[in-house]
Amino acid sequence: MTSITGRDPVPSAFSAARLARDVRRLMSGRTLIVAGCVLLVGFLAIVPLFYLIRDTFTGPAGFTLGAFSRAYGGHSQAGTMLGNSLAFAVGAALLALAIGTVLAYIQVRTDTPFKGLFFAASMVPLIIPAILYAAAWIFLADPDIGLLNAGLKPIFGHGVLNVFSLWGMMWVQGLHLAPIAFLLMVAAFRAMDPSLEESGLMSGASRATVLRRITMPLMRPALVSAVLLMFVQSLESFEVPGLLGLQNGTYVFTSRIYFVLRSFPIDYGAAGAYAVGLLVIAAVGVLVSGWLSRDTKGFQTISGKGFRPRPIELGRARPWVGAMVIAYFIVTVVLPIGVLIYTSLLGYYTAPSKAAIKSMSLANYREALHLPLAGTALKNSLILGLASATVVMFITAVASWVIVRTKAPGRRLLDLLAFSPIVIPGLVLGLALSFVYLRSPLPIYGTLWILLLSYSTRYLPYGMRYATSAMTQLSGELEESAQVCGASWWQTFRRVLLPLTSSGILAGWIYILVVSFRELSSTILLYSPGKEVLSVLIWEQFEDGKFTLLAAIGVLMVAILVVLVLAAYRIGAGVGLKTDD
Amino acid sequence: MRSTRPLAVAMAVALVLAGCGSSVTSGTGGGDDSRAKADQKVYDRLGALSGADRRAQMVKEAKKEGQLTLYTSFTDDVATDVVAAFTKQFGIKVNLFRGNSETVLQRVLQETGAGKTGNDVVETNFAEMATMAQKGLMTPFKGAVLDNVQQTGKFDDWTASRFNIMLPAWNTKLIKSGQEPKSWEDLASPRFKGKLTMELSDDDLFENVTQYWLKHGKSQAQIDTLWKQIAGNAKVVKGHTVMGQLLSAGQTSVDVMNYSYLVQQDINRGAPVAYRGADKIAHTPGFARPNGVGMMKDAKHPAAAILFYDWLLSDGQKVLVKDGLTPSTKVPGDHSLDGVTIEPYDVKGLVANEKSWGQKYDALLRGVQQVKGGGS
Repeated sequence: MTSITGRDPVPSAFSAARLARDVRRLMSGRTLIVAGCVLLVGFLAIVPLFYLIRDTFTGPAGFTLGAFSRAYGGHSQAGTMLGNSLAFAVGAALLALAIGTVLAYIQVRTDTPFKGLFFAASMVPLIIPAILYAAAWIFLADPDIGLLNAGLKPIFGHGVLNVFSLWGMMWVQGLHLAPIAFLLMVAAFRAMDPSLEESGLMSGASRATVLRRITMPLMRPALVSAVLLMFVQSLESFEVPGLLGLQNGTYVFTSRIYFVLRSFPIDYGAAGAYAVGLLVIAAVGVLVSGWLSRDTKGFQTISGKGFRPRPIELGRARPWVGAMVIAYFIVTVVLPIGVLIYTSLLGYYTAPSKAAIKSMSLANYREALHLPLAGTALKNSLILGLASATVVMFITAVASWVIVRTKAPGRRLLDLLAFSPIVIPGLVLGLALSFVYLRSPLPIYGTLWILLLSYSTRYLPYGMRYATSAMTQLSGELEESAQVCGASWWQTFRRVLLPLTSSGILAGWIYILVVSFRELSSTILLYSPGKEVLSVLIWEQFEDGKFTLLAAIGVLMVAILVVLVLAAYRIGAGVGLKTDD
Repeated sequence: MRSTRPLAVAMAVALVLAGCGSSVTSGTGGGDDSRAKADQKVYDRLGALSGADRRAQMVKEAKKEGQLTLYTSFTDDVATDVVAAFTKQFGIKVNLFRGNSETVLQRVLQETGAGKTGNDVVETNFAEMATMAQKGLMTPFKGAVLDNVQQTGKFDDWTASRFNIMLPAWNTKLIKSGQEPKSWEDLASPRFKGKLTMELSDDDLFENVTQYWLKHGKSQAQIDTLWKQIAGNAKVVKGHTVMGQLLSAGQTSVDVMNYSYLVQQDINRGAPVAYRGADKIAHTPGFARPNGVGMMKDAKHPAAAILFYDWLLSDGQKVLVKDGLTPSTKVPGDHSLDGVTIEPYDVKGLVANEKSWGQKYDALLRGVQQVKGGGS
């Protein structure tokens, strides 16, 4: 077994003279920053990918494809499951896209009432761990015990809603994912010059035509990014299918990964073969999205020309839109959070009754606040969330600049690499990182740093999509003007690029901050005594079967993160594009 | 200016950094040899002592070491109580890592594989302990406390500290008294059509019930039919906790198997669930899976490790009883086995063939036709 020996960043093939020249070139600020960020992105992505591929394609006798026959052959029913997965992922992604885009449009571009509710409606499903969100929907829409079904029974008969179906899975996953699309689309709509639409309207086009021919095409990079993220995330997630699908006999592709990862001895090769399958799908997605956004000039809506996004007056439609907003808010926030709050006041979940109401108490909240590690875990989660969101958004902002703005060879590969962590199972990522840092002289094993690395890797794909879609909307002429005026690259980046892409960068930052509180699959292997985080705490209560306590923690988490994100938005509103809202 | 060099160099460096090193998953029992030799002397010396002198000497040396690192899959409340009781009794600080059993195993394999063993003792489930024993990562324990441990809980390199009892469980509002399953065969009855829940990863139950039926004279064909009927009655859920929660909520009626301590916790919270009938007797025989404790060959704190081992099998057992677990020794006040008949857990069969049982169970749940003779 060899270990990492070559820490020297310069391969020996470089001659001394060339080295000196390169070092001089590397001294320029731009090259240092760009190379540093690209290096980091590449490094973060390649470490787990390398181990994944190595375990998949090598056996005791060298190169082998045996893992693939183990994974896809025999009784694995891989085809059926992939079909289920695709149907589920497409349905969930489309639902989430439709909801997220419509809401974002209404929020940014119209004078709709209740704008404050959007904020909650967009964030809350993101904050609640998927397992709690899915459980809340079981209590709402189970054919027998579902509260909604009980309410609808007099009209529609028994069990009209069935959450244990492919539709139910798509519904729950779609609602849970909608914030990804919402955040991306809000940023994209904010950065869009409405004068393009106004010209369309002036030329006699109907509102629908303007939407179809002008608005949507301009939004393409963001739309494609959103679909890509949500589709691949649905393909690789197991929470909703595990809770809702299995009861109905709907097995998805990831149930295979779950199966091989918990067998003895663990068949990493087969797990890798499944991940490679997902990787191929994801790679096709990235390439198609690159191709769809190839006409970069066509999407540049932020140019030297000033504009001020002005909301469309809804007029008579205003109350209707307002009602729709409230309906959505009730479905995605009030109902599930209501169920969670109700559950959190009980000793065990039971349908509402006089006896249940009598037994309600705040005991779970008291217990949550007195968990011995609650303080440590909250502190560590905050540090990790803020740090990983900042690191990822900074390096992906630079890397997306390389991809969108330069003609550097290998930039597509960089895009692809940065997307690859999305398909790597958390456990495999954890193993790869612990393997490397147990052998590396860098003493980060057993510290928060290794968790930071793991989170930065996991959220790289998200950061990249958010940053790339924001960067695509920015016209190159602004940088050129800055450089003509004598600004250095770093000044241009800091004073022009970052502020103008800030709504996209901020959206990505918020997304990462929020979901990092939930990351468990790699955390559980990498955290060390004294370095506990909230997700581990939540998992522990879950393992203990303290579901109602878990509901209380979920409610508290929603409260904490809503405050945090609100603050971020307030601060973010002070920089970048000015809007009227 | 369009620069291409930095990108190329960066990629090359990233590749070089990532490319070194061997397979991440090939870690086999390694560890620190010189430390292992020194540890063995401590283990031998302290293990040979007896009487009051034994504990006193262990405490003295462990105190000198100052701390203990424990990796365990105890649930959170149990782990907290165990650590608190140990620290209170001896004044030795415990660094606690909690994970599910698979994580505990992976962490130990990774660390020992790199020669950086991080823990002194490990306490986790049967299958993972068996794997670590196979890889030779732990060292045998000697001491009189072993005499109190039930025969089914003794292994070469580790010892059971507790048992997980596997039994059917049901919702008492949905299953009328007297209608509950009274044997494993009973679960195949048409009266449970659509009412059963099976857990996605319960292949050890599958193996044990199958062996139990074989032992009691059923043919393989009869057994296959029974399982097919049970699976036909059932839907599938992932995770025993979720399963227990859905059972409490009345979303499901019968769990083919849940751990009795989890069900008991729900009963204590007032949930309408049970694993024993109205007569306080579990008519279905349960299987007791041994979960246990082991000392690392190259622990940083060997005296603390052997002290913890010794303590967990003696005073520590009371803490486990208090938290509702089934101890591996006789402890006054333990009611976890009242009314329960225990069948031996098939340790050998599972160690030898866990993987093929897993595949067979998976195929059963998914309703896949099995190849004749495949699996066991």
